[in-house]
Amino acid sequence: MKQLVRLSRRLRAHLTTLGAIFSHFSSTERAFLLPLLVVLLLAGLLLLLSTGVGYVTPFVYTAF
Amino acid sequence: MTAVLGVSAYSHEAAAALVVDGVVVAAIAEERLSRVKNDASLPVRAMRACLALGEIAAGDLDEIVFFEDPFRKLEHVLVRAIGGFPRTGTLFARSLASQLGEKIWVLDALAAALEVPRGRVTFGSHHQSHAASAFFTSGEARAAILTVDGVGEDVCTAIWLGEGTSLRCLAEQRHPCSLGLLYAAFTAHAGFAINEGEQKLMGLAAYGTPRFRDELSRVAWLESGALVLDGDVFDHFRDPDRAFGPRFEARFGPARRANERLRVGEPGFARFADLAATIQAFTEDTMMAFAREAKARTGADVLCLAGGVALNAVANARLGAIFERVFVHPAAGDAGAALGAALFRCPPKQPQAAFSATLGRRADETTAWDLARALGLEVSRTDDAALAIARALEHGELVAVVDGRSEWGPRALGHRSLLAPAGPVSVRERLHRAVKEREPFRPFAPAAGASVAAARFDGVSPSLARFMTGVARARDPHDPALGAVVHVDGTARLQLVEDDASLLARVLALVPGGVVLNTSLNAAGEPLCESALDAIAFFQDRPIDALVIGDVIVRRPGAVS
Repeated sequence: MKQLVRLSRRLRAHLTTLGAIFSHFSSTERAFLLPLLVVLLLAGLLLLLSTGVGYVTPFVYTAF
Repeated sequence: MTAVLGVSAYSHEAAAALVVDGVVVAAIAEERLSRVKNDASLPVRAMRACLALGEIAAGDLDEIVFFEDPFRKLEHVLVRAIGGFPRTGTLFARSLASQLGEKIWVLDALAAALEVPRGRVTFGSHHQSHAASAFFTSGEARAAILTVDGVGEDVCTAIWLGEGTSLRCLAEQRHPCSLGLLYAAFTAHAGFAINEGEQKLMGLAAYGTPRFRDELSRVAWLESGALVLDGDVFDHFRDPDRAFGPRFEARFGPARRANERLRVGEPGFARFADLAATIQAFTEDTMMAFAREAKARTGADVLCLAGGVALNAVANARLGAIFERVFVHPAAGDAGAALGAALFRCPPKQPQAAFSATLGRRADETTAWDLARALGLEVSRTDDAALAIARALEHGELVAVVDGRSEWGPRALGHRSLLAPAGPVSVRERLHRAVKEREPFRPFAPAAGASVAAARFDGVSPSLARFMTGVARARDPHDPALGAVVHVDGTARLQLVEDDASLLARVLALVPGGVVLNTSLNAAGEPLCESALDAIAFFQDRPIDALVIGDVIVRRPGAVS
């Protein structure tokens, strides 16, 4: 139970940071960086899932 | 009560600092506790130590402030990667992996480490944190502030005005025109590690003449008080650990490998000494230009300095020609920005006259006693530690001193110090070769009280000498009382000991000549000793004669005191 609370707190923290990233990069003068950032974040997420969560790994191959 | 914890991490010096109601309660660099030199990891040990010293639970903190803006930093990495493509190819992948893998989530990591709500974790900006660290510890109500760094987010140099509890940025110079990175390029070219070897280069400069000045002026110059660099010569884009490119080597000669010998009089020494003298002279001139600009913009009489370049004691000493008083924060590098971040959120209500740098942990004498006994060392107690140290120094001994709380910043100020007689040159050689194992061309520093300092040195700035952030010139460079502590150019990074009640001041009152050699209690590549355990490990490992921890004196078995 304690672990679940910790996990949910961590997830909420990451969502707060993601929100802050998008808020920072959504201003007019920085918007051109947003597509690059989204691609990089998605690639990072994919890498994280493929190495960290075993049962997701087989599906990563099909993504390419 | 308002309690704020400032944190710096993922740069080159991680640290934490606790400020309660504008008063600095504790500040510790992570390297002191992890025992990893220049530890840049999340400073969990330092944060916990600060909270313990302040007797505050993490849950009672009002705010945890990270020293820089992680989102602006990511933006800078992206913009730099796109702007410098294809040169930035390899660096881009490495930088992004570290940014997206770890650094961008630093605020979440802080919240998780302290188990506090994420909403309580905020951030400042790099140069603002530096500026706050310098101004709010200077004791001044109004001052010009100069922050000169490698790069923080995308800013390299900034001029600020500090008034009361507010800071206002007046001018900024952005990457890549950075004095810190320029100095880093010469440091790496001379075979020293960046962020560690700059002090070595400064020491080496005293042996040379600035004969490469014309060459340097073609790749780095000043324009209306701002620095301009020829980007093709430097290689910050490709390799930040190297920082200089092939065109740099074509202009200034081949670089030195880190393991190549560099000894006075040997082949190659003169070229690197001249290069060091060239960049040192350029740095001093540039700092003077920055200071003149700060004076013109603020009209202030006092200058506060922070940022890595502010550790250049020789350059700092020249700034007294422009300002009535110059103050440099004792931890001018990125560690100090942790304290600045906290002070910016919770500034002192009134300027604090005497900022104390003793902000670390106290060494436990009981542990020292028990450990030394268990190791079969000779242990005794004294009711007058100052007298015992002074007598040992009179006999030419090297004495390690651990006194009270540890110092904040890279300089040992008598609380984690290795003391030695300041006169005999043989002492300096012994320290260089057997104890510290460092480059023999580097100088050692003297510590003296006000009257002795005035009698033996010229150009002593009390505000700089207090934390060893400036240099003074020996009146007689061949003074036999200063043989081990005066550099080859006649200067010394003097520590002015003003607190008469301190152990070091009492030692100075007892030693002949009133001056001692004071160097940091660590060997090459190690952080300063923090605890009794660290000090005893150092004593066991190095050929020093005595270790004094509070009132406990440790000697080797059979040694005659």
